[in-house]
Amino acid sequence: MAATLPLWPGIIAFALLYGMMARQAGLSPWQAALMSMMVHAGSSQFTAVGMWATAAPLAIILTTLVVNLRHLLMGASVAPYVSHLPTRWKALLALWMSDESFALAISEYRRGSGTHWYFFGANAGIWLIWAPAGWLGAVLGAAIPSPEDFGLDLVFPLAFLGLLVSFIQDRIGLVVAVGSGALALAAAQLLPGNGYVIVAGVLGGCLGLLLERWHQA
Amino acid sequence: MKTLLIFFGMAAVTYFTRVAMMVALGKELPSILRRWLAYVPAAVLAALVAPAALAPQGRLAWGARGWASALGAWVAWRTRSVFWTILAGLAAFHLLRSLGLD
Repeated sequence: MAATLPLWPGIIAFALLYGMMARQAGLSPWQAALMSMMVHAGSSQFTAVGMWATAAPLAIILTTLVVNLRHLLMGASVAPYVSHLPTRWKALLALWMSDESFALAISEYRRGSGTHWYFFGANAGIWLIWAPAGWLGAVLGAAIPSPEDFGLDLVFPLAFLGLLVSFIQDRIGLVVAVGSGALALAAAQLLPGNGYVIVAGVLGGCLGLLLERWHQA
Repeated sequence: MKTLLIFFGMAAVTYFTRVAMMVALGKELPSILRRWLAYVPAAVLAALVAPAALAPQGRLAWGARGWASALGAWVAWRTRSVFWTILAGLAAFHLLRSLGLD
């Protein structure tokens, strides 16, 4: 759980903003916090409260599914590391897996020092702060400045950079990382929402395979 | 009540996206899938970084966020520490902002 602490300023800033938006959409602070505890997926919660007043419940749920489809890729990448665990452990680890805790866990696994307890701690460390800070945001209401004003939106990309280096062990890894970043930039201009994560993740993996084959040939 | 039902629906579809692959992919993966999966984390992490650093408002724009991320990448490479990467990147961002770069 301690590994999640450097991420807390970013999480708190975004949770405050989420709470404020939830309040504006007509949710009470407790409802805002309950959604955080149950769903625990920031970008889809922002989307949901943005749609809250106007959209049909089914539209909100389907949009949540689409926004969170990237977790399929993350689940697939940790699958080899958790395959020895009983299903109830996998079910527990999946419950609170966020972008941030996935990134922490998979890089720890890659270094050879990852365990399911570390993974669980990373999940729990993020989950614990997300809902209370969202509640506080809803209570404080309109007084909250945007995280962008303080550069706090940079906390997550910087953390991901810090974790990314542990995956770059050779030239292929470097090309995959740079290529996927470029792909994501291009796809972000073309696709709505965060579809670019899925596109760049899938194609970046394929790029790695291609380079491997090319390297051997 | 309706609110709670929507929360349940959102929680259910989100949980599905998280648990499906973890449970579906067992020990015996075909080798090509296993090697593909080995590259996916780096690809996903890079995909989460690039647009946030280089296109913060949706359009491609090299500015304080780009420079701060470039410094962050260098610090990440040298220190392999998430903590120092965040600290150096944020410090650079605020320094550049105070100098008028956006």
